Amino acid sequence: MSDNAHTDAMPADGLAAMVRRGLDDSLRFVVPIAIAFAVGAVLLLAIGENPLETYGLMFSEAFSSQRRFAATLSAATPLLFTAVATAICFRTGVFNVGVDGAFILGGLAAATFGVMLPMSIGWWIIPLSILAAMLVAAFWLWIPGVLLARLDVDEVVSTLMLNFVALGIAGFLVNGVLLSETSGNNTTETIHSTAELSRLLPPSTLHSGFLLGLACVFAYALWSSWTPAGFEAKLVGLNKRFARAVGISIPSTIIVVMVISGLVAGLGGASHALGQVHKFSDGFSAGYGFTGMAVALLARNSALGIVFGAILFGALASAGTTIQLFSDIPLDIVNVIEGTVMIFAVVELGKLTLWRKGKRP
Amino acid sequence: MTLAAQILATTIILTTPILLAAIGGLVNRQGGIVNIALEAKMIAGAFIAIVVSSATGSWLLAVFASAALGGAIGYVFSLTITRANANMIIAGLGLNILVAGLLGFLLSRVYGTSGTLRLPDVHLLPKIFPESVSDVPLIGPVLAALDPLTLFAWLAVAALPFLLANTRLGLRLRAAGNAPQVVRSVGLREKSIQDFGTTFAGIFSGLAGAHLSLASIGLFNEGLSAGRGFIALAAFYFARNRPVGTALVCLFFGFLDASQIRLQTAGLPPKLIGTLPYLMVILGLCLAAWNTKRKLQA
Repeated sequence: MSDNAHTDAMPADGLAAMVRRGLDDSLRFVVPIAIAFAVGAVLLLAIGENPLETYGLMFSEAFSSQRRFAATLSAATPLLFTAVATAICFRTGVFNVGVDGAFILGGLAAATFGVMLPMSIGWWIIPLSILAAMLVAAFWLWIPGVLLARLDVDEVVSTLMLNFVALGIAGFLVNGVLLSETSGNNTTETIHSTAELSRLLPPSTLHSGFLLGLACVFAYALWSSWTPAGFEAKLVGLNKRFARAVGISIPSTIIVVMVISGLVAGLGGASHALGQVHKFSDGFSAGYGFTGMAVALLARNSALGIVFGAILFGALASAGTTIQLFSDIPLDIVNVIEGTVMIFAVVELGKLTLWRKGKRP
Repeated sequence: MTLAAQILATTIILTTPILLAAIGGLVNRQGGIVNIALEAKMIAGAFIAIVVSSATGSWLLAVFASAALGGAIGYVFSLTITRANANMIIAGLGLNILVAGLLGFLLSRVYGTSGTLRLPDVHLLPKIFPESVSDVPLIGPVLAALDPLTLFAWLAVAALPFLLANTRLGLRLRAAGNAPQVVRSVGLREKSIQDFGTTFAGIFSGLAGAHLSLASIGLFNEGLSAGRGFIALAAFYFARNRPVGTALVCLFFGFLDASQIRLQTAGLPPKLIGTLPYLMVILGLCLAAWNTKRKLQA
């Protein structure tokens, strides 16, 4: 959306250029997916399944009825947040791979508040829990942000490592002070019913967190295309020297995008804790931070692409679970597809930059 | 005294997989590639080791198979980075997910199990010294626990400083990492040299995997590597790519692993102890960065 909105605003760009850019973006979205599905097809053929039949079944399992589509959107919900949180940083040239950890700590904070706050405060419990989640996660990503901005500490390594630290802290807390007295190991108590986000289509688990996710994507689109801060961040991502030359402070831009990324990841964790699972337990994030990264890469950080990508991976996850039950095709095929998409999303990017610069190093 | 000797022996054995992967990763990084996918090659190596050991009854063939598979994955991974210009971090994370998915798929579809693979007649790594050596005071239990891969790992640590500093290949590798334009200007292909580095990392990670599954447990589990590929990454980052320093850091991480149960009874929570390697890297990077900054200002 960001790119399209951009071109809509500038008709002088020319129709041909617009069409070419739109085509380019869609190709970059479709090609990695096509390759990934081809890899999956080879795997399915190898075990004697008909890939077209399987994919057809998956498609109908994901989209063919209101109930199924709701399940798909429900699975897409956490990805909307993690993809936006990743895209904010990637388009600024900040390689934040720590969204998963922030998502986890946000979920932990929200679940803790959802359990501990007194019921008497009524619906206030929801915004307070969400706020706590956002603050915790924002603080979490502020750390590597400051380290990068002030000391030039490689953010890839620091954020990657902080994921494991977050996992350790959360594991420690849910086996210690936050451990539920009634429901066994590795889990907090279930949150108060007033803290639960409302369900949108009751038999399915689709909850209002999905709407929050869409709002996040929309806000991201506005921020990236229509605000000075979003534009400055993009400049920093495109060319640091130029950005510095026109007076943009690179350190503060880095810190700002890391904190925003944390806020979004924390909101996502809160949505998942309050809307989907209603507690925090070990294994809270099924790699949502990394799937979100795949989505952001596919979407080339565009808002519209993020919505499509999140729904695609949501569909894979929800249909994958069903076909595992009914046709004995392991759910792991979803991971195969996701990993392949990630690799080919960046492989193609490399080829294109190589080709555009017109030189072979 | 016997308690200390026991912990020492366990430390040495638990260090081996981390150390092997870290050696691979540090050579790779000296060649200019940060290898995030050590984990993928490790888990693939652990898997193939069990399969081959069970099928052939030979631990040696199993170890070779792990090295070959790890190396092959590493080589293909390297091509995506050096030839197709893929971002090495994203491609590495993607490869970790892809390999985990493939193994899970294989396990449930071919072997009909979920998560754990037990096969008959798995031959474990042999011990180098006869059992009686454990009577030697203090280092007896360590000697008794010693297996070929552990010995190999420490020999590699001893040889690596020389190999990197004084051989043609070592020099070219470091040049490819530090000054690729120089390598190109003298007519060498720096990409092929980097491919060698990544293949080397794959081979060593594969060996690390073989040690995980064949050192004592004799089965494969999807969670077997449990983030050790990343701990290895932490080790060579913390020691700034120096082989001996990296080995000592690995030894410390192995010690944490080995003493976890005892630390737990002493009241230290294992989950928090487990975060120590990762915190150390961040701290190490901060100190290094702070040092550079201070020098620049001075």
